[in-house]
Amino acid sequence: MAKRDVQDPLQMWREWVDGAERQWNSALNEFMGTEQFGQASGKMMEAFLGMQASMNEATQRYLSALNLPTRNDVLSIAERLTGIEDRLSDIDRRLTSVAPSAPGPSRPPRPKPKRTKKAPGKTVTKKVASKKRAAKAKAKK
Amino acid sequence: MTTAAGSSLGYDPALAERVRREVDRTILRGVKGLEFFRSDDPEVGVTPREVIHRRGTLELHHYHATSDEVYRVPLVLVMSLVSKPYILDLAPGQSLIEFLVNAGFDVYMIDWGTPRDQDKGLRLEDYVLDFIPECLERVCEESGESEVSIAGYCMGGLLSVLYAALHTDGPLKNLACFTTPIDYDGMGMFKKWTDPRYFDVDRIVDTLGNVPPSLMYASFTMLRPASQAAGRMRLWDNMWNDEFVQSYRRFDRWAQDQIPFPGECFRQTTKELQQQNLLFKGEFRLDGHLVDLGKVTLPILHVVAEHDHIVPYEAARALIPMVSSEDKEEMVVKGGHVSLVAGPRAVLRLWPALEAWLAERSE
Repeated sequence: MAKRDVQDPLQMWREWVDGAERQWNSALNEFMGTEQFGQASGKMMEAFLGMQASMNEATQRYLSALNLPTRNDVLSIAERLTGIEDRLSDIDRRLTSVAPSAPGPSRPPRPKPKRTKKAPGKTVTKKVASKKRAAKAKAKK
Repeated sequence: MTTAAGSSLGYDPALAERVRREVDRTILRGVKGLEFFRSDDPEVGVTPREVIHRRGTLELHHYHATSDEVYRVPLVLVMSLVSKPYILDLAPGQSLIEFLVNAGFDVYMIDWGTPRDQDKGLRLEDYVLDFIPECLERVCEESGESEVSIAGYCMGGLLSVLYAALHTDGPLKNLACFTTPIDYDGMGMFKKWTDPRYFDVDRIVDTLGNVPPSLMYASFTMLRPASQAAGRMRLWDNMWNDEFVQSYRRFDRWAQDQIPFPGECFRQTTKELQQQNLLFKGEFRLDGHLVDLGKVTLPILHVVAEHDHIVPYEAARALIPMVSSEDKEEMVVKGGHVSLVAGPRAVLRLWPALEAWLAERSE
C-alpha cells in the first residue's frame, strides 16, 4: 500500500517561527530607523550617562573620604605598569636581536618545514576588468 | 510496516511513525536539555600554536605546521577589534585556521586581546602604524621571509587596508579582506543610530572610557531583535540533535563573548568614519598622513557575504574600485557576516576560494 504524505504539525510551527522572525525583524528595524527612535534612544543614553557620571563622582568622593584608593588611582598604577611592560618587551627584543639564544639545556626547536610548496596547478583567476585595461587591449588591436 | 488490517482499522502507519519519532525527540529534548545547562562551554581555539610576540594585551600566534612543506609566503590573519578571534578557529573541522594550516600555509594570527581600562587611549594610529608593522616584522624574522600576506576579517580588513595604503614599501605582498566596510554611508542601521544629532560619542567615551561589552552586544543584537528568541526556539526544537546543539553553543558563546572597544578608537571611528565617511571621501588621515586607497597596488581579494546584515554590500563594495591594483577581485559568496568565515558551508565556499587565490600568490 502506498505511503500517505503526512503533514508534520511541527514543520508548520517551524515555518511560522521563520516567518515571524523575518516579519518582526523587518518591522522593528523600520521603527528603529525613525527619527523618533533616534531621539528617544539619545535621551535614554544621556540619562544613563548622567547617572553613571554621578555615581562615579559620588564613589570617588566616598572612597577619598575613607582614605581608600579610587578606581583612578588603581588605573594610574596600571598605566605605569603597562609602560614598564612595554619597555621590558622592547629590551627583550633588542637583546634577542643581539644574542638570539643563550646556551644551555632547552627544548629542541620544532623542525621548520621547507618553504617550497607550489600551487596545485595554475588556475585562471577572474579579474575585475578595469576600463583602462579594456581600453588598452582595444588600442593594441 | 503497512498492513491491510491496519489500514482498514484507520491506523495510519506513517502517522504512527511520525508520532513515535516526535515522542522520542521530546524525551531526548528533556534529557539533553538538562545536560545542556549542566555541561561546560565547548572548547574553542584548539588548533596548536605558540605565542611568538606579546605587547600589552596583543599576542601574535604562530600555528604549528602539519606538513613538511609550506608555501613560501607566510599568512597573517588580522582580526576585528570588536570580537574575539576564535571565530576563525571554532572547532576541529570548523576552523578556517586549521583548514589553511592543513592546506600548507604558514599561518600567524594577531590576537588583539581584551582591552583593559588603561587601553582607552588607543587609536587607529596605534594599530595601523605601530602594532601591525611590529607584528609583520616579527613574522618576517620568524619565517625568514621578506614578504607576507594578510587576511583581514571585518574591521581587521579595514586595519589591513589602512596599513597597505600607508606602507606601500612594506613587506605586504597579498591582501585578502572579508566583509570589510569602506563606505560607511552604506552601514544601514549603524549609520542611523550614530546620527550626531542624537548620538553624543564624546559624552559616551568621556564617561565610560572603553565602550563596555554589554553596549557592543546590544548594538549587534538590535540589528535583528527577534533572532535571539527565534534562535532559542530552534535550539529547543533541535535539542535532540547533538551536532546542532554543539554548533549552536559555539556560535552563541562567541556572539555573547564580546569585548570592550577602546574609547578613543571608538570616538575616532564613529566621528571620522561612521559619521563623516572620510575614508570613502578620500579625506581620512592617520597621524596627519592622508590614507589614499588608490596607493594600494598589490594583489587584493575582497570577499563579501550576500546576506550580510552587519556590513551590508553597500558599505563593502567600494573597496575594489578604490584600489589601483591590477590584480584585484571581488567575490560575493552566499552566507551572512559570520557564517561566511565559520558556518558549516564555509568549507565549501570561502575557504577553498581563499586557498586557491592565496596559493597562486604565495610561492
